[in-house]
Order: sequence, then structure tokens, then C-alpha cells
Amino acid sequence: MDDATAAVRNAVHGVVPNGSVRPSAGSSRAGPSRRQVLRLTVLVPALLASSGACGTGLLGPAPPPDPLVALADAARADAALAAAAAAADPALAPQVGPLRDARLEHADALDAEVVRAGGAVPAAVTPTPSAAPAPAATLVALRDAVGASHRAAAQLVVDLPAHRVGLVASVAACCATYASVLA
Amino acid sequence: MSPRAPDSQAVAALQDALAAEHAALWSYALAVAFLEADQAAAARTDAAAHRELRAAVEIVLVQAGQRPVPAQPAYATPQPVLDAVSAAGLLVTAEADAAGAWRSLLERSADPRLRRTGFDALVATTARSARWRGAAGTVPAVPVFPGRP
Repeated sequence: MDDATAAVRNAVHGVVPNGSVRPSAGSSRAGPSRRQVLRLTVLVPALLASSGACGTGLLGPAPPPDPLVALADAARADAALAAAAAAADPALAPQVGPLRDARLEHADALDAEVVRAGGAVPAAVTPTPSAAPAPAATLVALRDAVGASHRAAAQLVVDLPAHRVGLVASVAACCATYASVLA
Repeated sequence: MSPRAPDSQAVAALQDALAAEHAALWSYALAVAFLEADQAAAARTDAAAHRELRAAVEIVLVQAGQRPVPAQPAYATPQPVLDAVSAAGLLVTAEADAAGAWRSLLERSADPRLRRTGFDALVATTARSARWRGAAGTVPAVPVFPGRP
């Protein structure tokens, strides 16, 4: 399947005349509005500066927490809720098992990116999920939780740097789909 | 009004996304002939969504002064399409390619509008992907990291 997938991919890529694309100077309505451009010029340098500062911790006051830490925590919480739902009603296991596995994979990938960016994966910095009363482990609760995880990740998509946006967007898209199939 | 045109990276990403949409539409046209009635109806709905997306990308490219890449007359299928399962398999591949192209747009453009467009397309293709992965017997049905190379 992988070779075959690659074959179609090649065929698809063959369509694109990569050498001929070029930026246009004279376009009109394709770009962002002036306000969007302004917002971007304000946000992106701030974001880059903060993510750079995370690496050293020496460039000033405490850097803001890495937003991916909260996404990883949410992934673990969703996985725990899915496991609890399957434990409460074994008939749900085939439905929620893949969700639990997916959210654990998300947590691992997000943790890896947090570490790569120079942050720890600190138990101390984040509140322990077990401190809060756990919601009843039902399909509806699980759907709501994964829907909230979708929205939390989706909110970051516009502003994240290029090397992180793909991971977060994929996590959000996966959560969005689970939220709709569990409905 | 002097909105900024997409830069060359974003244009290349949009052209890749358009090429993937062309390939997806070709794939749906082939697959629908092999699917059972209810699945064929779903495939037509999905194809309509791709058609809308393709038109939207073409407009963005034209407005940026670019020439949208044309569709190929035909595409190589990963497996021979002979029945409903292999037809669903072709759609799994088409949606995976589309997901890859849309995720790549996010990584190749910081323009908030293109980021939102790419993200919405990634979410939509993931939902379609889950349908066809389920039909083709791919496990898990919902891709864990849709669009990841």
C-alpha cells in the first residue's frame, strides 16, 4: 500500500509545474486584509521571541508556558476518560479503544515537541488532572471532551510557527472527527 | 486596499493542494461506479465538497495572478479498482494525499486566511478519510495524524 500510495503521490505531484510558480506583485484580493497583516506582524515576532526564550530561560522574566503542554495534558485526560468509559461499559471498548490509543499517541508527539523546543514535560507546572473530579465516563462526556480538545488545538493553528502547526492541526483534525463520529 | 499576495511558498502549496483536489475528483469519479448505492451517495456528497474546494483554490490562485495547475487526463491508482472495497481504498489514498497537501499549506504559509482555509480543509478531509477507511477496513478508521508525511 505504501509503494502504491507513493505511486499516486508521484502521479499527483507530476501535475504541479514547480518551476513555473512565482509570487505575484500585482494581485488584488487574494491576500489578507491590512488588519490581518498588522495582527500577524505583531503576533508572529512575539511568538517567535517567546518560543526562542523558552529554550534558554535566561533572556528575561519567566517565559509563557508552552501552549503544547496544555494540549498534551488534554490528550492524556481524554485517553483516561476513554479508558474509564470502556471499563464502565465493555461494550464501548471497540468504539473508544482507538480514541484512547490515538490520544496517547498525540500526548507522546506533543510531549516530544515540547521537549525538543527546550521545555521540560513537568508534572509540577501543570495541575494534576486527578485533583479535579472526573466527569462520568460516558460516550457523551467523551465526545464533549474530545470536542473541547479539538477547539483548544484549533485556536492555536493561526499563530503557531511553521514547524509546529502541522502537528497541532493534525491533532485537532483527529479530535474533530472523533467528536463527530461519537455523536 | 493593498492586501499582500501569497508568497512563492504559499503559491506552491496552493498549487499542490489544487493538484491533490484534481486527483481526488478523478478518484471519486472512478470509485463511485464500484460503490453500493448508499456509499455511492456519500461519495457524491464528498466529491461535491472537493469540487467546491477546488473552485475556491483556483479563485485564490487567479486572484494572486497565478495560473492554476490543470488536472491530469488520468492518474495511476495504487491498486486496481475492481470492487467496492478497492474503490474505497482508492478514496482513502485520495483523501490522504489531500490531507497531506492541506497540512503542508499550513506549514508553508503564515497568512491567517490561508491557515484557516488549510485547517478547515484538513478537518473536512479527515472526516471523509474516516468514512472511507472504515469502508476499506483500514484500522483505525480515524487517522491519528492526518496529513503527516
